[in-house]
Amino acid sequence: MLSFLKNPYLSLHIISIHLSYIIFFVASVAALIYLVEDIQLKHKKTRVLFSRLPDLSFLDKLNYRLIGLGFPILTLSIISGAFWARDIQGAYWSWNPREVYSLVLWLLYAATLHVRLSEKLRGRKVAILSLAAFAIIVLSLFSSCP
Amino acid sequence: MVVLGINHKTAPVEVREKFSFTGKHIAEVNHLLSVHAALSENLILSTCNRVEIYAIIKKDDSDYLSRIKNFLGEYHKINISDFENRFYLHKNEKVVEHLFRVSSGLDSMVLGEMEILGQVKEAYRAAHNAKTTGKVLHRLFEKAFNTAKKIRTETAITRGTVSVSSAAVRLARKILGELADKKVLIIGAGKVGEQLVLYLKKNGLKSILITNRTFEKAQVLAKNFGAEAVAFENYHDKLSDVDIVIASTGAPHSIIKNDDIMHLMPKRKQKPLFLIDLAVPRDVEQEVNKIDNVYLYNIDDLQKIVDENINLRKSELENCEKIIVSARQRFIEWLTNEDIKHHEN
Repeated sequence: MLSFLKNPYLSLHIISIHLSYIIFFVASVAALIYLVEDIQLKHKKTRVLFSRLPDLSFLDKLNYRLIGLGFPILTLSIISGAFWARDIQGAYWSWNPREVYSLVLWLLYAATLHVRLSEKLRGRKVAILSLAAFAIIVLSLFSSCP
Repeated sequence: MVVLGINHKTAPVEVREKFSFTGKHIAEVNHLLSVHAALSENLILSTCNRVEIYAIIKKDDSDYLSRIKNFLGEYHKINISDFENRFYLHKNEKVVEHLFRVSSGLDSMVLGEMEILGQVKEAYRAAHNAKTTGKVLHRLFEKAFNTAKKIRTETAITRGTVSVSSAAVRLARKILGELADKKVLIIGAGKVGEQLVLYLKKNGLKSILITNRTFEKAQVLAKNFGAEAVAFENYHDKLSDVDIVIASTGAPHSIIKNDDIMHLMPKRKQKPLFLIDLAVPRDVEQEVNKIDNVYLYNIDDLQKIVDENINLRKSELENCEKIIVSARQRFIEWLTNEDIKHHEN
């Protein structure tokens, strides 16, 4: 076994972060399809009626339920990441760019879940939030050389 | 091989209904026709848009047409010569082509409708039971079913939605998903609105509220539709609860304002709202469509969907014709071969 995998926190961190990103990716795809369909329906572009893509209500639910599923896994990955940082750096949190990204991401998904579950927002804006949050994931992957 | 018939293109419903046969008696009529007109094979297709008699004529029979017409006149107790110009007669490969077109919905009032195929199958079954079909009609109708199926799967002729009601239901499904647990409120009563309600019911919608300025009218309609009548003064309260609103009042100005819906959405917890405005002048302010989770379609928007779909279907006609021509060709080849075999034996 590779030596770095011997640290249980790191293993947990790696598994959970990938899992959550995959879930958020699917959510963002649902959000994207939602936005496309929403625009077409608002502008009376009727091609949308014959596409086999799912309906708006389904996509909206899928988006926030996936976020609801991914969020605790993301939380777990941040916590396990902090424990791993303590093991190798001696500090849970040192405000490096990667950690700041994670925090922003966590806050954004927390906010998205909050507004959707409290039914303050629904549909288009939740879809935009989901896409924005996933854009941060993509950005963090490109700028994450530690 | 001939077909004699009247349809929606040659005769109005008052004439067509004089000649129509009820499903119950059709097997028996097939049998009577076969005896009276001395036909080799025959099959009656009778729907609300057409009455057609498909027949295989015995060899060297030149008088078949008057015998078939006589039968029609006698059976329906009408003077057939009054309607002479309503009938069309096709022979041989024209019959094949005609039947293929009919079964595929290309000859229907609503281009590409699919109900007709079931009716043709039903007609075939009845004639088969009456034992008035033989080798040729059997093969002909089998090929007609195949061709119709091929046209349905390989062209876009049956695609889309060609009535205002079905366009509205498709939109509702796209916005709200499954309709069974959704609620609709109808404000005012009009013919299109009523048709739409019936169509929504057919598509699983159960909960229907009806309101009208004259409460008695709402009550009568509610009774007809198995719906709940709401007093006109109170319908605004119901808006927070329903998923679809159909507006078709005769009001001279809009009755559902942008501000109303803006304030309504937080109360609705942003639940999607599908507004269908069938009224002219319009009942719902156009700006409403800009609010998140609110979708407004007026009668013109719906009509535009219908028109686009009809054009889409028309643009597919050429492809359908190609399929029909090649299927006809194959059938005629088979028929010629059969004829040769027949003579050889």
